[in-house]
Amino acid sequence: MQNDEDFFGRQLPLRGAPTNGAVGQHALRTVGERRQCQRCGQWLAVTDRLANGDWYCRQCLQLGRLTSQHELYTIPEPNRFVRVKSGGLTWTGQLSAQQNVAAQAVLRHVKTRTDHLLWAVTGAGKTEIVYPALAWALAQGWRVAWTSPRVDVCLELAPRLRQAFGGVAQALLYGGQADPYAYCPLTICTTHQLLRFKAAFDLIVVDEVDAFPLATSPMLQRAITNAQKPQGCHLLLTATPGNDLQQQVRRRQLAVTYVPLRYHGHLLPQIDLRLAWRWREGLLRNRLPSALIHQLRGYLAKHQRFLLFVPHVVDLPVIGQALQLAGIQGGVTVHAADPDRPAKVQAMRDETIPFLITTTILERGVTFPNIAVVILGGDDPVFSTAVLVQIAGRVGRSADFPSGQVTCYCHSHTKRVRLARGMIAHLNLQGRRQGGRP
Amino acid sequence: MRACVWCGRQLQTTLTLAQIWQFTPIAQATVCDTCRQRFTAITSQHCPSCGRQQVDETVCLDCQRWSGDRLTNHAVYVYDSAMKAYMQQYKFQGDYALRVLMQAPLAAALQRETYDVLVPIPVDQLTWRTRGFNQVTGWLQNQPFQQALLVRATHKERPQSAKDRADRLRTPQPFTLAPNAGQLLRGQRVLLLDDVYTTGRTLRHAADQIYLGGAKAVTSLTLAR
Repeated sequence: MQNDEDFFGRQLPLRGAPTNGAVGQHALRTVGERRQCQRCGQWLAVTDRLANGDWYCRQCLQLGRLTSQHELYTIPEPNRFVRVKSGGLTWTGQLSAQQNVAAQAVLRHVKTRTDHLLWAVTGAGKTEIVYPALAWALAQGWRVAWTSPRVDVCLELAPRLRQAFGGVAQALLYGGQADPYAYCPLTICTTHQLLRFKAAFDLIVVDEVDAFPLATSPMLQRAITNAQKPQGCHLLLTATPGNDLQQQVRRRQLAVTYVPLRYHGHLLPQIDLRLAWRWREGLLRNRLPSALIHQLRGYLAKHQRFLLFVPHVVDLPVIGQALQLAGIQGGVTVHAADPDRPAKVQAMRDETIPFLITTTILERGVTFPNIAVVILGGDDPVFSTAVLVQIAGRVGRSADFPSGQVTCYCHSHTKRVRLARGMIAHLNLQGRRQGGRP
Repeated sequence: MRACVWCGRQLQTTLTLAQIWQFTPIAQATVCDTCRQRFTAITSQHCPSCGRQQVDETVCLDCQRWSGDRLTNHAVYVYDSAMKAYMQQYKFQGDYALRVLMQAPLAAALQRETYDVLVPIPVDQLTWRTRGFNQVTGWLQNQPFQQALLVRATHKERPQSAKDRADRLRTPQPFTLAPNAGQLLRGQRVLLLDDVYTTGRTLRHAADQIYLGGAKAVTSLTLAR
């Protein structure tokens, strides 16, 4: 633990001072009557106290408890890396013309160290668009973090980046990782892990910036600014920026690059809205809307595989049973806490099951070629505008099957569904100007 | 609006007219119903010796192996995945605020026991400094208890929870009596209180010491079995 490299740009909680001259500060800072955790920046409640009189922070407990006995030790980031001329880029793929334009824009902003939003539609190839900028940053000897609120995204991304940047040492950090921490120029981590860093990174790439829990958590948003060097910058990636990001873009506080077309040049499928009046009451009698049954039977007859999204975990068994009764069989249900989730998603990928009934966990990060999407109860508050656009974005991602159907059954018209359709229409309008085809 | 101490979800409290008309302070819930219902309570069908949940009320195999050395233990909840998750966050991560989850169920369980003196299993000095609390006394609200036992401050090379059954059964006696234990315990019915009954080794070591202190009878209560 006394290794210098472990302290570079990090905040390590220790009870006694280390021997290597790392600078320490109290983990819990007292301001008047209140106490603030120096790792996560949250204020302690008056009840957050142990029996022996020490205070402790409950907000970042998952990273190991900080008490008033602890000090956080850090050594300022020295960027002690071997510089690689090419930035370690070993990727040999080709960017499309549109991707290349976006990639140059991103590179320009990274070079001038400005915060930047890359607003690229689902399936635009966001990751590859960032490669030139990332290679340039690594060639400068910058320390870079690629972070996402979703651990699934990090786990999927790590092997891709390891392949694309074969010449750069990389570390993957997430809760429950098996490997120990390593000091590397490129760190791939969940946003929670950024809490362990302080003024460490010259560039932070935030993937899926609007995803839960980052969008609603001031603690994690602070973690990003805290882990970034004062002169550093961040690059936000998303297909569906939230209201506050869109507002910052409108006010010209945040530079933005649009990629309104998918890599294969086809437009996004629009959400087809159908009313299913009082479908919940029907479900109590094990009945689903007849239009839905008709549509799903049609899919099964055509061997068209589909995803059925439902609002809540408790709806899964009920709707599964109702589908069984209607003669639509062979699918499985999957939700966030499902222990067999990876196996079921893999089975869907291997085309061994005809459909999945799922909650919003499959909204992003999954790709199935040639898939149709059906949303039941799209007016439920869990389906926010961003979630609906992401769900619609599951369709037509493959170049071989660039189109597909997205159907949304609602009890009534809601603003969220209308805005989601509006966002897709707006992006498609921009896409058409760039020569997109339906 | 308050949030549940465990899952952090907002608590939906419904205020009834009856509560308003009573003019008494309204009890603030701290835990949501979903979290409360995650645990499995042990029913009357349990092992009469260790309190393990079973399908009948015969002495279980583990207790038969303890031949002769009988101890009557009652437990409140089954030690299942939910309880393990709770213990992980409360005891090992040290989230002291989670103690409120168990205060009410434990108070109800203590009501059902007959005893004169309540003796919680102590923690050693090192644990007290690093963890900052005794996980057992955290669950007690106003119930009087006596620290009649002291635990030897031997450095444990491995925590109890990292050992297997055979290792745990070989654990030497870790407890000694507190200086004033004699007058506290003489002729009294003592109830020991611990967090989890796994092999019964710890509780039997403690019970041996309490008997040495002159107690008339020793029974035990644990949160989980």
